[in-house]
Amino acid sequence: MSQHQRGATETQQELSLLSVRDLTVEFETDRGPLRAVDGVDFDVERGETVCLVGESGSGKTVTAETITKLIRMPPGRIVRGVAELDGRDLLSLSERDLRAIRGDRIAHVFQDPQHALNHCYTVGWQIREAIQVHEDVSDAAARERALTLLNQVGIPDATTRYDDYPHEFSGGMKQRIVVAMALAATPDLLIADEPTTALDVTIQAQLLDLLESIQTEYDMAILLITHDLGVVAELADRVVVLYAGKVMERGSVYEVFDTPAHPYTQVLFDCLPGRGRPLRSIGGTLPDLHDPPPGCRFASRCEYARKECHTGDQPPLYDVADAQTASCVYYGPGGDPDALRNGQSEGDPDG
Amino acid sequence: MSLDSPRRRFEDIDWEAKRGIVLRRQTAGFLTTLAALALVFAFDYVREAPLFSPNPVLRDGWDLSQLDWLFVVSLALFVFYVLVPLATHRRMTAHYWREFRKNRAAVVSLGFLLLVFTLGLVGPLLVSKPQVELTQSYQPPVGLAVDSSVPLSCGGDVVDGRCHGSWQFPLGTTGDGKDILSLVVLGMRVSIRIGLITSFLIISIGATVGTVAAYVGGLVDEVLMRYVDIQQVFPSFLLYLLLIYLFGGSLLMFILVFGLLSWGGTARLVRSAALQRSEDEYVEVARCAGAGTGHVIRRHILPNVSGTVITNLTLLIPGLILFEAGLAFLSLGDPTIPSWGQTIAAGRSDLRTAWWISTVPGVFLFLTILAFNFVGDALRNALDPRSEGQR
Amino acid sequence: MRWYVARRLLWAVVATFVILSITWALLYVTEQQALTSIQFQAAVSGGDAEAARAAYEQQRGLDRPLWRQYADYMTNMATFNWGYSTSRGQPVTAAIADALPYTMMYSVPWTILTVAFGLSIGLYSATHQYSRFDYAATFLAFFGYAIPNFWFGIVLLVLFGVHLDLVPIVFDPDAPVFSLANARQLVLPVFVLTTGSIASLTRYTRAEALEYVEATFTKTAKAKGVSERRILLLHVLRPAAVPLSTILVADLLGLFIASSYLVEVVFGIPGLGQLSFKAIQNQDTPLVLATTLVGVFIAVVGNLLQDIAYTVLDPRIDYGDR
Repeated sequence: MSQHQRGATETQQELSLLSVRDLTVEFETDRGPLRAVDGVDFDVERGETVCLVGESGSGKTVTAETITKLIRMPPGRIVRGVAELDGRDLLSLSERDLRAIRGDRIAHVFQDPQHALNHCYTVGWQIREAIQVHEDVSDAAARERALTLLNQVGIPDATTRYDDYPHEFSGGMKQRIVVAMALAATPDLLIADEPTTALDVTIQAQLLDLLESIQTEYDMAILLITHDLGVVAELADRVVVLYAGKVMERGSVYEVFDTPAHPYTQVLFDCLPGRGRPLRSIGGTLPDLHDPPPGCRFASRCEYARKECHTGDQPPLYDVADAQTASCVYYGPGGDPDALRNGQSEGDPDG
Repeated sequence: MSLDSPRRRFEDIDWEAKRGIVLRRQTAGFLTTLAALALVFAFDYVREAPLFSPNPVLRDGWDLSQLDWLFVVSLALFVFYVLVPLATHRRMTAHYWREFRKNRAAVVSLGFLLLVFTLGLVGPLLVSKPQVELTQSYQPPVGLAVDSSVPLSCGGDVVDGRCHGSWQFPLGTTGDGKDILSLVVLGMRVSIRIGLITSFLIISIGATVGTVAAYVGGLVDEVLMRYVDIQQVFPSFLLYLLLIYLFGGSLLMFILVFGLLSWGGTARLVRSAALQRSEDEYVEVARCAGAGTGHVIRRHILPNVSGTVITNLTLLIPGLILFEAGLAFLSLGDPTIPSWGQTIAAGRSDLRTAWWISTVPGVFLFLTILAFNFVGDALRNALDPRSEGQR
Repeated sequence: MRWYVARRLLWAVVATFVILSITWALLYVTEQQALTSIQFQAAVSGGDAEAARAAYEQQRGLDRPLWRQYADYMTNMATFNWGYSTSRGQPVTAAIADALPYTMMYSVPWTILTVAFGLSIGLYSATHQYSRFDYAATFLAFFGYAIPNFWFGIVLLVLFGVHLDLVPIVFDPDAPVFSLANARQLVLPVFVLTTGSIASLTRYTRAEALEYVEATFTKTAKAKGVSERRILLLHVLRPAAVPLSTILVADLLGLFIASSYLVEVVFGIPGLGQLSFKAIQNQDTPLVLATTLVGVFIAVVGNLLQDIAYTVLDPRIDYGDR
């Protein structure tokens, strides 16, 4: 509760760039509605990088794609919640107004560079389209801009490669082109959905460097979705941990890496190799999102779970530290957070 | 989609691996049947007399021709390679049935096709060959009535100057007094012959050419596939027209022309599947374990493309049936075999007064094509997981 | 690419050559059969079998050496010297030229309607999957495909021509091309043909478009702020056009050749189909040959165009491959 109140006063004092509140999304399936995202809250400030972390099926992608309503509706359905950009709710905007925001103020980079570009058009055409959709500029001017962008994202021989088709580029190069396309209208927020997962390790590092450099250059916020904690450590300012459609923990990257608060975050970090502790695997599987059990979503797999963890709703996000909150009863009234700290080693976000 | 995972897993299981004995028994059964058929055929050929000549009913509607021999072979193939595997692999059958059953229209359609199949098979035993009997002309079907001036003499009751249909001719009669029910039932024979024999030709030739092209490769592959290119370009319809013009029309020729010219798609499909599968891990494993090429083709490649091939067939066959009916309508078909198209043509000029003559076989034709389409659609969803989301 | 097109062109010429040769061989076989029966008849009626054979051979030009017959046949084919139609009393080429406009009259609107409706219904179905419209479109597609063209044609003719008297029953070949009378007599044939052919195009368009509606690049385009309509036309229809061009040519061409026969006979349109049909009935060999070969050439050219369309439409195609 206290967190909610604090969040509310914060927004009044200083408007966040993006502020997502109580976002709830369902999908219609053969087995009835599936609640992929359930009451997710988080903020993205100007120029910062926020990482959405979680295993597959935790609702990261759905959260990210709901912000500009990219999910297919139906079968998708936004049950409730708001996603405010500078205080204006995107989810209640008309399709026309939303279109003006997509690409112009919020841009996307998707996971799979192999299929993110249309194979029927040259890359130049596709970048130009991104420019001309939002700005009434001549083809020649758009071409100039596109070439600058291609140079910027590190495509060698941009002038000659401008008229090449996507299949003539490698995966890493394609992802650079997708990034160039996302930068076309100098957005305020870049939503990058696992941008490096499909790439080779060396290419991954290069692309992350690219993201970092363009962020400084364009003074742009990044909402980065990943399950790679190494990437989080490298880029993130703040972290939001999702599990089964719920926020488990939020905090600055230092807080979350140094002292992971939620038992789920703790096991998640123990899955990371090279942290000086034997690897632990999480037993059990994700709960069935068609009919989630009562109580904390993680309770069935949590080694600290108490009786109250299996009843009622998901616990609210209780304060843990300065800007860190966790959805766990141990941080609530009468809880004993120290019980969770046993055997927890120190971590280093850069390690 | 998470929902298709059990289906995928199901497909991935190599069913053949666990049924070596069954398969051998099935092949043995098929070969025995073929041998028996060959013996009977030789006997029939040497004696130069149709085997069933003493039976007047059979003789009447069922002259043993090349077509019949082909049909019986196709039927044997169907029984041993479709029905027997379905009966022995209960779990697989049950799974496919569950998937299939989701489409209610397809279940009804399957029932209708089974009826057509059974009637077409035993029809000649049940109905006599319709005879021209002018005194019985233009009888309306049961439950309908026409002005009594239409039929020469009304077979049913005449009420208020209107002739009602009688049970003697449940579906009425044509302008020359032929029983439409008999014509319809005999017309089913044409449909099932086209369906089974062309399937047999397309599957056997297509599968052989496809696997040979994939496995031998090189020049053989090139030549075979270029030939398929030409064949796909060539309109079989025109070749058939030319052939009937030069040699006269027959159902056998229709089936041979379209069966022998329609396997191109199946061959391409089998070839690409064979090329793709031969790189798959489990085929590699089978190879390493010393399995021969023939074994790999039989056990790993054919079962994997069978779904797509069968689905394609269920969409190809109705086209051929429709085609045959069209040709028969133009009297470019086989004049000796009663078919739906012929009856439609016969009733064409009487549509104003005796509309049922064209309409009854037309409705049967329509329902058969429709049923094939529904079944094909449901089969695609049940057998071919790749078409997920395209239903 | 130019090399690729040239090779396909050469391939089409080879295919034509092969088809003509097969036709020649078929003709040769039938003529030999006819010859045997003439000899037999002559012998039975007590005449000189040898003289009858010589007379027949002379009349048909069969006394020339085989290669000469083949070469002459091929030259005649190539120079459009296709012979004289006895049943029509005019050269075969003239008969075809007379019939062609009537075939065009219904096939042009038919093609336009099929493509327009097939594509738009299929696209709409794909973007509104499982909606009421989608189900209705699927049902309509099945219905149109399953209903036998020729039967549907005669039923409609009786209904609208005889009972309601809205359309003429007998086709009037002298009606001016762009006149109300001509439009009225063409409405039913075009309608019947369109319902039959729209089905497969709708189904295929839906399946292909569905693949691209769900593609990542469509999502990329949407994320760029591109409008729905632009996405549908440029990002969905454009890639779908590649496989669809194949279906358009292969399916529609096949349907066109077969349906033109049935529809022209049912509605009494004096086009190519009826010309060919009557030629068969009248045993007019040069005309039968010419009309079927025209169909084959249409198919060959259609396939050539389809191949070229493929290379133009899909930038990924590897020209060295085929």
